[in-house]
Amino acid sequence: MAVFAKAGFSKAHLAGLLAVLTGAAVLAACGTDSTSSSGNNSSGGTTIQIWEGYTQVEAKAFAHLVSQYEATHPGQKVNTLYVNSDNTLQKVLTAVRGGSPPDIAYLYGSWAPNVAQIPSVVNLTQVVKRPGVNWDDFWTGERAVATVNGKVIGIPALVDNLAVVYNKTLFAQAGLQPPGPGWTWQDFVADAKKLTNPAVKQYGTAYVTPGTEDTVWHWEALLWEAGGQLLSADNSKAAFDSAAGLASLNTLRTMAVTDKSMYLDPSDSAYGNLFNSGKIGMLVTGPWDLATFSNVKYGVQVMPAYPGTAGGHQTISGPDNWVVFNNGSARTAAAEQFLIWLTSATQDKYFAVQTGDLPIRQSVGQDASVVNQMNTAVPGMSTFISNLGNVKQARPQIPQYPKISTALGTMIVSVLLGKSQPQAALSAAAQQVDQILAAG
Amino acid sequence: MTPRRLLQSEQFSGWAFVSPGVVIILLFGAVPIVWSAVMSFQRNNLLSPDTPFVGTANYRKLIHDPVVVQAIQHTLIYTVLFVPGTMLVGLFLAAAMNRKIRFIAFYRTVAYATMAVSTISEAIVFIWLFDPSYGVVNYFFSLIGVPQQQFLNSPSEALYVIVMMTIWGWTGFAVVIYLAALQGVPQHLTEAAAIDGAGPWQAFRRVTLPLLSPASLFLAVWLTINALQLFDEVYLSTQGGPLNATTVLVYYLYTQAFQQFNFGYASAIAYFLFLIIIVITVIQFRVGRRFTYYRS
Repeated sequence: MAVFAKAGFSKAHLAGLLAVLTGAAVLAACGTDSTSSSGNNSSGGTTIQIWEGYTQVEAKAFAHLVSQYEATHPGQKVNTLYVNSDNTLQKVLTAVRGGSPPDIAYLYGSWAPNVAQIPSVVNLTQVVKRPGVNWDDFWTGERAVATVNGKVIGIPALVDNLAVVYNKTLFAQAGLQPPGPGWTWQDFVADAKKLTNPAVKQYGTAYVTPGTEDTVWHWEALLWEAGGQLLSADNSKAAFDSAAGLASLNTLRTMAVTDKSMYLDPSDSAYGNLFNSGKIGMLVTGPWDLATFSNVKYGVQVMPAYPGTAGGHQTISGPDNWVVFNNGSARTAAAEQFLIWLTSATQDKYFAVQTGDLPIRQSVGQDASVVNQMNTAVPGMSTFISNLGNVKQARPQIPQYPKISTALGTMIVSVLLGKSQPQAALSAAAQQVDQILAAG
Repeated sequence: MTPRRLLQSEQFSGWAFVSPGVVIILLFGAVPIVWSAVMSFQRNNLLSPDTPFVGTANYRKLIHDPVVVQAIQHTLIYTVLFVPGTMLVGLFLAAAMNRKIRFIAFYRTVAYATMAVSTISEAIVFIWLFDPSYGVVNYFFSLIGVPQQQFLNSPSEALYVIVMMTIWGWTGFAVVIYLAALQGVPQHLTEAAAIDGAGPWQAFRRVTLPLLSPASLFLAVWLTINALQLFDEVYLSTQGGPLNATTVLVYYLYTQAFQQFNFGYASAIAYFLFLIIIVITVIQFRVGRRFTYYRS
């Protein structure tokens, strides 16, 4: 003790330190309790924890399905926790570090290559081969996003795609024929120009320009339709600095810079309100927006094509996944069982009709009664459902994709704002992407 | 001291009482601070358990990253405009409201309301005010013959729109601080100045303003620290765009961490920002001390 006293460290200080440490121990003891409360329960059944981001109708339909599952599967209990989907990965990472991940989490498909690096993510490759799962019944785009390097890391949770939503009234006023299924980007550009009227601040179309992935994936659909590819087949080099890349950027440039027929939305929040106020003729957007367009008479058509290319009418999809985390074999098995049940055709049918989310299974998407019900509730849905067949490719499933996306966002925005010529922007972005890929 | 006396001593009970608070602060404050310091020397994506130490590579990368240079410029430009701007607007409104007029309580509430409005509503309102095609600001510009501006769509204007947005948002805070300080200015001093022949402006400039200097120093330091950590308004309105024009340091470190999974690099940026904040705050206190007048 004398040593402490000499060093200016009194007994009182020591006592204080002890008090602090005791407090820490008490808190730590409280902290470990939570993990043991779920898991194998006393009646021999299993409790699993699922993190989802559903609100409103989705939350209601999901809760119904969960209670139905619990009722038909005695001993199985599913605890759901609402987490805003934007933050789920962040929270899952923390939970994984803390040793208590959920058994299942709803995670965005764009995270999949990075999610695959988490050691506790369960490999579902064998699970989806089980009888009754019918993996090939999921849409191509969904399966692509759930698979990383040949390993299945998720079960599809949501699917969408981009199509053209147009204002029928504005088309009639401009004396234009509504877009047909065989239309081209040339038609789109010409219509956009005719739909533009600066006097009443009316635009032919709109584009979101924060430079984020929302900016990028709209363009990727154009690139594919023009017959282009983002990266080389082995994902080692940029491949978009091509004739197709140039054609796609020229299409955007013509509308944004030359014709000024494109409303640029830097905040990614205004375009929907403007379309619903009859200020925008055509939008390239997804099914999630349709229910909000209550003030205008709209139609939905597939994306235009580039004639003379092999691309045809394509679109892009941003599917999301249910990902399973390893909390011991009993809970993993229970989680797999629940997901197989949840994503089977019967449940998919119920969820799609109740919520207006597109069917995640092809068989449900081809079920005429489901399509009719959904299209009656929200007109135009049937086009979005059949358009899922036009999802022929997926974004590269590599961990560097977020970095590539940033480079592409800059490329697209610089062209839209007239700051770069398409070819110069393509070359600069391709060089950056090559560097990103080379760095690994 | 016997153990019995130790347990009864005031210091012991003092520490015992504060220990839960201390533990919580250590747990949620000190642990992340230390952990991110460690991470800043690692290549760490928080996903894979493989987190090799890379020495000072993250810090060296930072010096050569052109976006970091841009982000520093934007952060400094923003701070230099935002801090004095908010203080001036706040002082003006506080001085205008520091008198006995009708409905004064209402005006004061209104001024403070900018603090109560959530940032998301504030951002939405400003996005529409400054919309190039449909915004009120461009409408007024057209009335007085000023050319139409692109605002948030223009790399050279977007940052200034964010400056205005945040000045508006923080005005209420500055008003409340200045109003409280103004009420502490003894009336006999301004009266004495008036008797000595000082006009209202001179009395304000020579008597009131020096007496407000502690409040001004507090505001300058507080607003600067906040300005250097700008994030919400950028995230909600431009997401750093167009073409990085509104990418400030905290927004950039957010994209590095949570969009690109470079947690090691993001931690290095965070520590770099921490250093900038410390240096600026120390300078402010040093310089401020010379101009600050404390009555005691």
